[in-house]
Amino acid sequence: MFAAAQTESSRLALPGVGLALLLAGVAHSPATPANRAALEHHYDRFLAKELNRCTTCHLPSERKEPKSLEEFPHNAFGQRLHALGKDLAAAAKPANLAARLALVAREDSDGDGVTNETELLLGRNPGDLKDKPPAKELSKASAKQAEVAKFLAAYRWRPFETVERPAVPVVKNGTWVRNPVDAFIAAEHEARGLKPRPEATKEILLRRVYLDLTGLNPTPEEQQKFLADTSSDAYEKLVNRLLDDPRHGERWGRHWMDVWRYSDWAGWSGGNQIRDSKPHIWRWRDWIVESLNKDKGYDRMVLEMLAADELAPLDTDALRATGFLVRNFKMLSREQWMEDTLKHTSQAFLGVTVGCAKCHDHLVDPISQREYYQLRAVFDPHNVRTDRIPGQLDTAKDGLVRAFDKTVDQRTHLLIRGDERTPDTNRVMEAGVPFALCGLTSAARTGGKLVVESVKLPLLAAQPDQRDFVFQDTLTASERTVADTREALAKLKASTNPAPEKLKEQELTLAATEAKHTALAAVIRAEKLEVAGRKDSDDWKRAATEAVAAQRQQALADARLKLHQTKTVLAAALKKAEDGKPAEPKAPAKKGEKAADPEALKKQLADNEKALAIAEKDLSAASATAFKPRTVESYPATSTGRRLAFAQWVADAQNPLTARVAVNQMWLRHFGRGIVPTPADFGRNGRPPSHPQLLDWLASEFVARGWSMKAIHRLLVTSSTYRMASTPDVANAKLDQDNFFLWRMNSRRLEAEAVRDNLLFVCGSLNLAMGGPEIDHNLGLTSKRRSLYLRLAAEKQVEFLKIFDGPAVTECYERRPSVMPQQALALANSELAHTEARRLAKQLATDDDEGFVRAAFAQVLARRPTAEETRLSRDFLATTAKDRARENFVLVLLNHNDFVTVR
Amino acid sequence: MNHSPSSCPGVTRRSFLADTGMGFTGLALSAMLFRDAHAAAPAAGQPSGLPHFAPRAKSVIWIFLCGGVSHLESFDVKPELNKYAGKSIAETPYAKVLESEGKNIIGGNPSHGNRKVIMPLQTGYQTYGQSGLVVGDWFKHIGECADDLAVVRSLWTIHNDHGAQLTWQTGRHPRELEHPTLGGWVSYGLGSLNENLPEYVVLGTPTGDCCGGTFTYGSAYLGPEHGGVRFSTDPKKPLPFIAPPAGSITQEEQVRNLSLLGKLNQLAGIDYPDDQNLRARIKSYELAYQMQASVPETMQLERETEATRQLYGMDRSETKTFGEQCLVARRLVERGVRFVQVFHGGGGGGAWDAHSAIKSNHTSLSTQVDQPIAGLLKDLKQRGLLNDTLVVFGTEFGRTPGAQGDGRDHHPQGFCAWLAGGGIKPGVQHGATDELGFHAVEDRHYVTDIHATALHQLGLDSHKLEIPSRKRLEMDHGEPIKAIIA
Repeated sequence: MFAAAQTESSRLALPGVGLALLLAGVAHSPATPANRAALEHHYDRFLAKELNRCTTCHLPSERKEPKSLEEFPHNAFGQRLHALGKDLAAAAKPANLAARLALVAREDSDGDGVTNETELLLGRNPGDLKDKPPAKELSKASAKQAEVAKFLAAYRWRPFETVERPAVPVVKNGTWVRNPVDAFIAAEHEARGLKPRPEATKEILLRRVYLDLTGLNPTPEEQQKFLADTSSDAYEKLVNRLLDDPRHGERWGRHWMDVWRYSDWAGWSGGNQIRDSKPHIWRWRDWIVESLNKDKGYDRMVLEMLAADELAPLDTDALRATGFLVRNFKMLSREQWMEDTLKHTSQAFLGVTVGCAKCHDHLVDPISQREYYQLRAVFDPHNVRTDRIPGQLDTAKDGLVRAFDKTVDQRTHLLIRGDERTPDTNRVMEAGVPFALCGLTSAARTGGKLVVESVKLPLLAAQPDQRDFVFQDTLTASERTVADTREALAKLKASTNPAPEKLKEQELTLAATEAKHTALAAVIRAEKLEVAGRKDSDDWKRAATEAVAAQRQQALADARLKLHQTKTVLAAALKKAEDGKPAEPKAPAKKGEKAADPEALKKQLADNEKALAIAEKDLSAASATAFKPRTVESYPATSTGRRLAFAQWVADAQNPLTARVAVNQMWLRHFGRGIVPTPADFGRNGRPPSHPQLLDWLASEFVARGWSMKAIHRLLVTSSTYRMASTPDVANAKLDQDNFFLWRMNSRRLEAEAVRDNLLFVCGSLNLAMGGPEIDHNLGLTSKRRSLYLRLAAEKQVEFLKIFDGPAVTECYERRPSVMPQQALALANSELAHTEARRLAKQLATDDDEGFVRAAFAQVLARRPTAEETRLSRDFLATTAKDRARENFVLVLLNHNDFVTVR
Repeated sequence: MNHSPSSCPGVTRRSFLADTGMGFTGLALSAMLFRDAHAAAPAAGQPSGLPHFAPRAKSVIWIFLCGGVSHLESFDVKPELNKYAGKSIAETPYAKVLESEGKNIIGGNPSHGNRKVIMPLQTGYQTYGQSGLVVGDWFKHIGECADDLAVVRSLWTIHNDHGAQLTWQTGRHPRELEHPTLGGWVSYGLGSLNENLPEYVVLGTPTGDCCGGTFTYGSAYLGPEHGGVRFSTDPKKPLPFIAPPAGSITQEEQVRNLSLLGKLNQLAGIDYPDDQNLRARIKSYELAYQMQASVPETMQLERETEATRQLYGMDRSETKTFGEQCLVARRLVERGVRFVQVFHGGGGGGAWDAHSAIKSNHTSLSTQVDQPIAGLLKDLKQRGLLNDTLVVFGTEFGRTPGAQGDGRDHHPQGFCAWLAGGGIKPGVQHGATDELGFHAVEDRHYVTDIHATALHQLGLDSHKLEIPSRKRLEMDHGEPIKAIIA
C-alpha cells in the first residue's frame, strides 16, 4: 500500500528518504518495492514485467522482513543508484530517480557487457552478472531502445500529478501566434507538416463567437456594426462585450448544467412523491448563471457546491449551490443516492471514474476499494432539506433546497463487494481521497486522509425557523387567518336566518383563532429574545410568562369550541335517531373521521367537558415561563466539516485534476472536441490528450488567473486557433483527416437549447427574462423563455429538445449531436417553426423581394446571401402569392443547414 | 443520394455538388421520385450500392439482448453443471478448463473470486427438432424453431464489462470510442431498397451511455447518414412532428420549400465539400418528407390479422412490447429497410445482467422475448421472407458456470449466438465451449466473425468497403463462418 503510493519520483529526491521508503515498502508489500513503482513510473509500459521484484536493486535476502540495508544489501545496480543519489544531492543537483536512471542507463553495473537500460527493457537483472540476455534477445533490443528514447523525450502526460507549467514553445510561424494557445497548436502543426487554415470571414467569426459565448445569433445591427468596425481590436472589444452580456451566463450555465447533472425533480402524483432531485432546485441553476456572469472563481464555485453549508452557513445565496448535491436525492435508495454522488462528483470535478471501486479495486486506475469508502465517508453524513424563504411558509410551494449534515456521527463501512447487505463493520472508514490523485496537495502527506475539522453552525443555520422573516411571516399568516375568520363571521351574521348553533360555532372559532394568534405572538416575542441570546433575562421572563398565560387562554378557547362542536353533532345524531328515519346507506367513514355514533359522541362530550374544566382551572394557576415553543424543524448544531475538507482539496491549486478537467470542458465546448477526448475520464480508460502541454499550460494559467473562467474563454476565443476557417484542405486532411491537431476550426451543430432559443430569437419572440422556477416541459413549444429554464427531469423533457440530442438526465459530460430525419420534421412541421416563420415574414415587410431576401438571411443566418442564393430565393418568392411565399421562405431558412450549424 | 465516403480527403467542391445533386432538385420534378440506386456511376473507390457478389439475404434483423444472457441456460446447455453443482471447477474432471483461461481475453475481475464453485442450471432443458438442438426451458418457443437456427457456441469478446455491448456492434473496445457498427456498414455498402424509410432502423431502448450509448447504433467516420434511426413502435405516436400543423401548408408548398432548401443547402456546402453532417442533413430532409407517410403506415399493426398478432404475443402484456417491436421489424424489412436493430433490456448495464437472482431475472426477461422472437421466425418463414432475411440473436457475453451468490457473473471467455434465414444453414450447431461452458475451445470466433458472416450473406466483402484512409485491422473485418453458410 505504501509502495504503490510511491509514484512520484521526486519524492525520492534524497537517498536517505528513498531507503526509508524502500524498506517500509519491503515491510508492507514485498512484491512491489517502492522503487519498482518508481521504475515503472519512469519507464512506464516499457519496463519488463519480470522486474517486479526487490532483487532488481537488492541481493536476495535470507530475512523475510529485513530491518536495514545490512540485512538486505544492494546489488551492483542498486549500489550505483544509491551512490549516485548521494553524489547528486551533495552537488545540489536533482537526485530523483528519473535523473539517476538517465545517468546509469548507458552504464553496465553488473559488468556483463550489456547496458543497464537494455537489461531493464529485456527483463534481465541489471545488477546480476549471471542474468545476461542471450544474443537473440539482444538483437531486438535496439529497436526497443529507440522507442523508449522517443518515449522518454516526449512530453509526459501525467494527469494524476500536479501540473508543472510547461514552457511555451517557440515556433516558426510566429506571426500566426496571437497568444500561447496558438504556440502550442502551431508547434504540433509544424511537427506534422500541417498548415493552419486562414482566418474565417468576419461574418462567420462573428456568428461563431456570438453563439459560443451567448448562444444567440448576432442581430443584423450587430452584424453591420462589426463589419463596419475596422479598428485592429474590433474583435477583442466584441469578445469583452459578449463576456459581459448576461446571456453569457445562461449559455455557459447550460453547459455546466450538463457537467454538473442538473435535473429538476422527478416523481409522481403531482409532486406528492418526489423520487429524484427536489423541487425548487432551479435556485441552483440561477446560482450557476449568476456565478458565471459575476465570473466567480471556479475554485469558489466548487467549494460552494460541495460545502456552502459549512463554508457560509447563513449565506442563502451560496447555499443554493449545494443543489449540486441535492440533485442526487433518490427517494427509493439511499445507496443509489450515495453511489451517484460519488460517481458524478469525481467525474465532474476530477475526471476519474471512482465508481468502479465500489465493488473492487479499480481495474485500471490506482483507486482502491478502501479509498472509495473513504470518499464515501465524506458524503455519508449529508442529506437534503428545504428551508423557508421570505414570503412563503409552505416549503412545498417554494423554498431553498439545500444540503446539510444530518447524521453527524454516522459510521462509514466498506461494503464487501459493494453489497450494502455486507458491510465490513470491523473497520470505520475515515474521510479521505484516493492517494494516487493527491499530487502535491497536503493530503499527499497524510496518505490521502483528509484533515477534517467539524464546523460549529450558527444557531440560525441549525434552526432556520428562528430567523426573523419566519417569525414575521408566521405572524402575518396568523393575522390573515384571524381576519379571514372575522370576515366569515360577519358574512354569516349578514346572511338571512343563520342557524344559531352555526353562529355560535363561528363566534367561538373566532375567539379560538384570536387566542391562538395572541399566544403565537407572545411565544414569538419570547423566542426572539432567545435567538438574541437573552434567555432568562427579565424581558424574556416577562414574555415567557405572557406566552404561558396566552397559551392558557388559547386552550380555554379551543376547549369551548370543541365542546360546542361535539354538542351540535350529538344533537343532530339524536334527532336523526328520534325521527326513526330508515338508515341511509352509510357512506364509508373517511379515514380519521369518527362515526356519528351517539354513544361515542356522548363519551367525547364528557372528555370535552373535562378538558374545558382543566383549561378553566389552569387559568387561575400560578404564572409560569414554560411555554410551549412553536413546532419547527431543528437540525444538528454542528456539521462534520468533511465536505468542506474535501472541497478544499478539490479546489486546491495543487490538485492535479481539477483545473485540467475544467479547462478541458471549456475547450471541448469551444472547439467541438476536448484536448482529452474523454472529458469525464482522465484515467487509463480514457483517451490520451492531443495536446498535453497545452492542456497543462491552460490548467496552470487558469489557476494563475484566479480560476477565472472568463479569462480562459477570452484566451481561447481570441486565439488564432479559434479564428481559423472550418473549410477543408486536401493536403492537411491527408495528414490528419480527423483534425485532431486542429489545422482548421471544427464545424459544429448547435445544441438543442441553442436551436430552440435561436429560432425564437431570430424571429423576435425570445423572452429574455432571467431565472425563476422551471417552466413546465409541456409548454416547451409555447413558452418564449430560454430553454435552460424549461423543466428537465426523467420523463419530463421537452420533446423538441430531445430530438436535437438534449442532455440525458442521468449523465451528460458531452453532447453527441446527431443528424436525424426527426430533426427535419421538428423544424419543418412544428407549430413553433410555422408560427415564428409567419411572424418574422411580417416583421421584415419590405416592398422588394431582394431586400426581403437580404433581410431574412441577415436575421436568420446572420450573413449576406450570395448572388446565386439571391437568384434562387427571388425565383421562389416570385412564383406564389407574396405573403405566403415569404412565410415559406423564412421557414426554409429556419430549416437551412447553416441555421443549426456553427461554421 | 450518394454513397461517397465523405471523409475522404479527395472530395472537392465539384464532387460535392454532383454527389448531393439527386436531392429535392430531383424531387421537385416528381414529388414521389423513386431512386434508381444504380443509375449514377459512383466515384472511384466508393461503394456502388451493389453487392460485391451474389447475395443470399437482402436484410438483417439484428436482435440484441443487453446485459449478458446466460449461454449455459439458453443455447449452450451444460448438463455437467447439474452433476457437479456445489463443487469447485478444480474438483471436477474438467479442471483443465481453467488452464486456457485468459487466452485472448481480458480476464475476469480477480476480486470476483473467479466464480469457480459451480452453480447448477437454473432452468430445465429439452431437445428439439431433427437437429436435436438442446435449449434451456427459458426459450421454449425459440426451441420450436431449432431446425431453422445455426447456433454458434464458441464466441469470445474482449471486454469483461458491459462495454462489450459496444464491442458486439463495432468489434472494438469501448476505450476506442466510436467505430462504424455493422448496421452502419450495411447502410454504407448497400443503401436502402426504399426511398421512404431509413436504411438502418433501431427499435427498443438501446445500450446505456455507460456502455456505448449512441455509438452502439452509430456510423462513426462513415458519416451520420449511415447511422441508425430510432423509431418508436407506439402506433399513436410513431414519430413526433409527423405532419405540419393542420391547414398550415399544402403538399405542393412543402415540396417547393424542400426543393429550395435542398438547393440552398447545396450552395452553402460548396465551401465544405467534406461535411458529412451537411450531406446527412440534406438526406434527412428527403427522408423525413417521405417518412411523413411511410412511418405511420408501417406502424399500423392493427392491419395485421389476429393470428399474426397472437403469434408475436401481442395479446399478452408480458410479450406485447417486444412482440410489437418484432412485428415492426418484419414490416420494416418487408418495406426494404436493410438493417433493423432490435434492442431488449437496454439502458444502464442492461437488464439481463443477472449477478444475483438469475432464476427470476432470466425467467421474467425470457418470457418477454421468447415468444415474440419465435413468432418473428415463424412469420418470416410462412411469408417466404426468411429466405432473404437474416435474423441474428446476440448478447454481449455469456455468464459464468460458477456461482455469484444466486447469480452468474460476466463471462467473456465463451458464449453463444444464433443466426437464421438469409442463406444460413438451418439446424446446425457450430463450435463448442468445454464441458462446463467455461471457455470457447472449438472453432473459436471473435464477435466480428458474426459481422463478416452477415455481410457475406448480403453479398458484401468488408475489405472492399474499407476507406483507404481508415485502415481497419483484420480483427475488425472478421471472417465469415463458412461452416454455417448454406
